[in-house]
Amino acid sequence: MMDSSIAVATTIAAETVGLTKRYPLTWKRKVLVALDDLNLQIKAGEVYGLLGPNGSGKSTTIKLLLGLIVPSEGEARIFGLPPESLEARRRVGFLPENPYFYGFLNGDETLRFYGKLCGVTGAKLDARIDELIDLVGLQNGRERPLRSYSKGMLQRIGLAQAMIHDPEILFLDEPTAGVDPLGSAQIRDLILRLKKMGKTVIFSSHLLEQVQEVADRVAIFSLGKKVLEGSLEALLAEDHSTQINIPAELSADQQERLRQALRQAGIKDGDVRFTRPHLSLEQLYLRTVQGRPEPAAKKPSGK
Amino acid sequence: MISSLARILTIGRNTLTEAVRQKVLNILLIFAIVLVGSSVTVSQLATPGLDSAGIFDAQIKFVKDFGCGAIGLFGFFIALLSTAQLIPQELHNRTIYTILAKPVRRAEFLLGKFFGVVLLLALCVALMSLAFAATLYWQELRGIAAADKIYNAGSPAFAANPGAVQAYNQEVAGIVQQVRDPQIVEAILLLFTKLIMTAGIALLISTFATSSIFTIVTTFMIYLIGHMESTAREVWLARGAEASIWQSGLVGLISLLIPDMNSFTIVDEILAGNKVPWSHALNLLGYADVYLIVLLGVSIVVFDYREI
Repeated sequence: MMDSSIAVATTIAAETVGLTKRYPLTWKRKVLVALDDLNLQIKAGEVYGLLGPNGSGKSTTIKLLLGLIVPSEGEARIFGLPPESLEARRRVGFLPENPYFYGFLNGDETLRFYGKLCGVTGAKLDARIDELIDLVGLQNGRERPLRSYSKGMLQRIGLAQAMIHDPEILFLDEPTAGVDPLGSAQIRDLILRLKKMGKTVIFSSHLLEQVQEVADRVAIFSLGKKVLEGSLEALLAEDHSTQINIPAELSADQQERLRQALRQAGIKDGDVRFTRPHLSLEQLYLRTVQGRPEPAAKKPSGK
Repeated sequence: MISSLARILTIGRNTLTEAVRQKVLNILLIFAIVLVGSSVTVSQLATPGLDSAGIFDAQIKFVKDFGCGAIGLFGFFIALLSTAQLIPQELHNRTIYTILAKPVRRAEFLLGKFFGVVLLLALCVALMSLAFAATLYWQELRGIAAADKIYNAGSPAFAANPGAVQAYNQEVAGIVQQVRDPQIVEAILLLFTKLIMTAGIALLISTFATSSIFTIVTTFMIYLIGHMESTAREVWLARGAEASIWQSGLVGLISLLIPDMNSFTIVDEILAGNKVPWSHALNLLGYADVYLIVLLGVSIVVFDYREI
């Protein structure tokens, strides 16, 4: 019979215990604490959002979880493995913040390069490239050098390279930074697709509304510390308040009848508000521009 | 092990592709122009002495000296500049994160990048050698044509004069021998080895340097010290008891830490027409190999500890 503690451990995709990163500022004789005593447990299949202002420790957390930097204290684990081990790295994919990649390679060559590094070769690599190009919608970028890509295209090829070896966990550092709302929505949809595929997605973002749409749980960071963590449902629910949505505009007469019913239920008139729900600006924008043809391809900058 | 080698090869090939697509090889066009230009110039300068057989020897020697010197100089700049920007560029563009987040060890990344530079240098030296060989061959044709003219080869009078035929044959054989000297291959191999050593030094510096400029300047200084250390060693150690223990210690330490680049001046001996046995060249290659292994080993250890 399987030990219950092991069964629980196998469902934890990423974990940190007392994770701390300090950078000594030798000239100023000070120490910068980039991350302080972080404890996290992210379950497999979860979409986990890291929120916080610039310099709050989000990127440091991701780099520590990837084994790209060494912690000053504490430890990080990926499926129970040290993050710098090759075994752990076979199970993770990473899209860095503002990725550049190699401008002299085209989309196809880029994926081929990263695929080979992961040990994916031959017909399997060809098939995987086709699949990912379709998934991120970069058919028009296969033969173009990356130096001529738009910001959104770079983010999409970045996502494709992160997924080339079909990892179980994806780390996305600001995947929508600098991307227009349409591209940003496409990345959001992609995260939702990954979630459906059972992948664990750990991402940081400044776009709170997007985080709200895709994340199961979030952690909010400030000055290197995790100050809040929980499921969005629990964190965002307003206590002592109930909202009723009716897909029709109520007349004054209907509103009055509802007030009466609520009065009979013991609710005071002053506590009841009738408002029209609003679209978010993003929803309005997407509704307006979606379905329109894409702008002409950007010419190579000749860098 | 095989997958580790495959990753090193993949990174190496990508580094070479980058250099080729960023038109590093265009520098070789300048090399070709300089080489051909100098060759033409020197042949024009020597025109008044066409009747002297020695002039051609001097011209061919000049082309050989100049060609090998140019391969060394151009190769040095390609080795230094391309190695110095390997790591800073990866850090600046953050491409290093995308690679090291994959199942790639830092050592594999570093060796892959270095392998790419070695491939680039091999390609550059091969192309420069081709241009060099073509220029030498052109000198050979010119020399033979000039000898034909001097001896009026092909005329009945020439054929009837066994002394002239013998002198002509000797002169032509001399030209061909000088141009097709197999020791030139030895010289180019030693030059190539020296370039790889230079790249190895630059790689080690770049693993802890914070800028390409620092790597370039420091490598250049080490290169110069490497050229002077054997002279210093000879002078200081020749003083025997006069040299203080500190002086002897310092010279010994420098000899240990910095490769003796001056030992590669054996190429000059080859170009001067002196016979340098292959065993000597192989000894030098062995010396370079040991240094290179140490340089790469230390680079890997330093890079492993570097914060990226």
